[in-house]
Amino acid sequence: MRWLIPLVLLSALFLQAPAAATDEQFDLTVHQGKVVIVDFWASWCVPCRRSFPWYNAMHDKYGDEGLIIVAVNLDAEREAAEEFLAEYPPRFEIVYDETKDLAREFDVVAMPTSYLIGRNGDIRERHFGFKVKKQSEYEAAIVDALGARE
Amino acid sequence: MRLGVLVSALLLLGSMSACSSMGVEPWERDVLAKEEMQLTTDPVEAATDDHIYFSKEASSGGRGFGGGGCGCN
Amino acid sequence: MHENDKRSITATLAAATCTLLGATAPEPVQAQEEPGWDFNTALLYYGEDNDRVQDVSLSLLARRMFVDDRYLSLGLTADALTGASPNGALSMSFPQTFTKPSGKNTYTTPPGEFPIDDTFKDTRIAATASWQQPLGRLYEFNVGVSASSEYDYTHAGLNARISRDFNKRNTTLSAGLALARDDIDPVGGVPAGLSQMPDADGGDGGNRGSSETKDIVDIVLGVTQVVNRNLLVQVNYSYSDSSGYLTDPYKILGVVDGTTGDAVPIVPTPGVDGPSHLYLLENRPDSRTKHSLYTQGKYYMNGKVLDISYRYMTDDWEIDSHTLDMRFRWPTGSNGYLEPHLRFYTQSAADFYTLSLVDGDPLPEYASADYRLGDFDAITAGLKYGWQTNGGNDMNVRLELYRQSGNVSSSQLIGNQLDRDSYPDLDAIIFQYGYRFGK
Repeated sequence: MRWLIPLVLLSALFLQAPAAATDEQFDLTVHQGKVVIVDFWASWCVPCRRSFPWYNAMHDKYGDEGLIIVAVNLDAEREAAEEFLAEYPPRFEIVYDETKDLAREFDVVAMPTSYLIGRNGDIRERHFGFKVKKQSEYEAAIVDALGARE
Repeated sequence: MRLGVLVSALLLLGSMSACSSMGVEPWERDVLAKEEMQLTTDPVEAATDDHIYFSKEASSGGRGFGGGGCGCN
Repeated sequence: MHENDKRSITATLAAATCTLLGATAPEPVQAQEEPGWDFNTALLYYGEDNDRVQDVSLSLLARRMFVDDRYLSLGLTADALTGASPNGALSMSFPQTFTKPSGKNTYTTPPGEFPIDDTFKDTRIAATASWQQPLGRLYEFNVGVSASSEYDYTHAGLNARISRDFNKRNTTLSAGLALARDDIDPVGGVPAGLSQMPDADGGDGGNRGSSETKDIVDIVLGVTQVVNRNLLVQVNYSYSDSSGYLTDPYKILGVVDGTTGDAVPIVPTPGVDGPSHLYLLENRPDSRTKHSLYTQGKYYMNGKVLDISYRYMTDDWEIDSHTLDMRFRWPTGSNGYLEPHLRFYTQSAADFYTLSLVDGDPLPEYASADYRLGDFDAITAGLKYGWQTNGGNDMNVRLELYRQSGNVSSSQLIGNQLDRDSYPDLDAIIFQYGYRFGK
């Protein structure tokens, strides 16, 4: 039941980009047919820092197979995010959610929060937090999503 | 003494229910994540002070633990 | 510290790390990013005026983070004490001679001075170890042990606490428990309460047991609440129960004349050195229950942080105390800060606290003239400066002044006591240098 709202919203996103959600366009429809990870992070969040090298590794490993990673930044000031990104350069896409509308729409109740979306647009997994020990679990879920037909 | 216990218990319960409406969104914890905003910023200094004051006065302790901070994971 | 406070010091470290349940040693200050070590060291000098207690201590807190915010903390503190402290007798207009607790010799206090015993030069070692980790997503627990040792006092303790987050981690509830067992093995043996100070005849005054124990149970319940982006508040309720030997085996009370207020002289035993006047060893109840309510707020104001805490304590010895502690952290330059500190403290006397006993009056069951159980106010004023070194490590220095002044109403004073100080006011300097480095 609690997944209903984000599910509905995400489906809506696949049909049309939300108006004025961010400075930059947040449009998941361009990624239809691919496996998408949407991750909400901030520069002051220590587990977020730990996740970036892993996301880069996943991007390198599965990018060709159709994995897209979109990391949505929730810093209060873009400067802080940019300092962080200079230290942890990402090879995946970064989006800035200045108004925090995306964070609210996606029901971000923990930092970080990440969604794994399958090729058909369904939300397959939602994670609160990032645990280094669960990296193989997270990766297995990605592999499953990449291999699933429907 | 019993009144003190009752008041404290009520305070704790009261804060719990009042607390459900107070607070910030998970992404608004940048300030709370700073080192200087932790409840105990210097544990060695805090231990030393407790040490000194326990030796010179009749009260001790009270400090707690946990809460605040970045709220991550 | 007060030489008799060494016993308290041991208990203090217990209090600081064990009974305070993780507020100091086991509490991670800031989440470490990568697994590794974090070392926090400090060198402290504490010195009182008037040839009283001086203490130098070295502390080390080593914390290792394991994957996903699990921490092992190890603490070690070594103290060296010198100096003297008030033994509980009042100053008189004539010299007073006392037997040292060892029972082997005596010491004499000149007229007009507070009798202080300078026997104790001692070293103490204290160690703590604790483990902290998350449990599931919303719980965190911490377990630890503590121990300390000095020549007349040993302590061992266990502590555990658990916290859970609510309301998107805006609210945290915590509960903690600490248990401790202390062993007191005083120089010269454990004196019988309210027995007479013995002669300096080698130690076996016949009124001495060998060692005693003290058990302490502490419970803390707390709520931490994020109020807004810049304000964090905490409220804790603590319950503490001590039972066993709570008396200070080295402290005495002077017996005075009911009219003049002067110490009552005694006839010395021929051929033996001993006390010049009538002094009795103190005696405290064998249990003490304390309740405390502590509240703290941290407020961020555009780069500066205001930290204010208030604690109210009440116990079944009739002691009530209020503590107001304020710190203001002020960033200076790009990598430093200044932090002025002000602390106000006041306490009321224990119901068995008395300045002296009156000759001829029936002996009370419990009595103590230990100034730490009396009615007094204290103020601390200090300044701390911290900075980051070129290597990225943290250093800090602080200098503080601590002053304690007794509140003795003239109605408590008898005869000639009105002409003299009746409370050994204290002036102390605190200087600390700290260095924190990692990996």
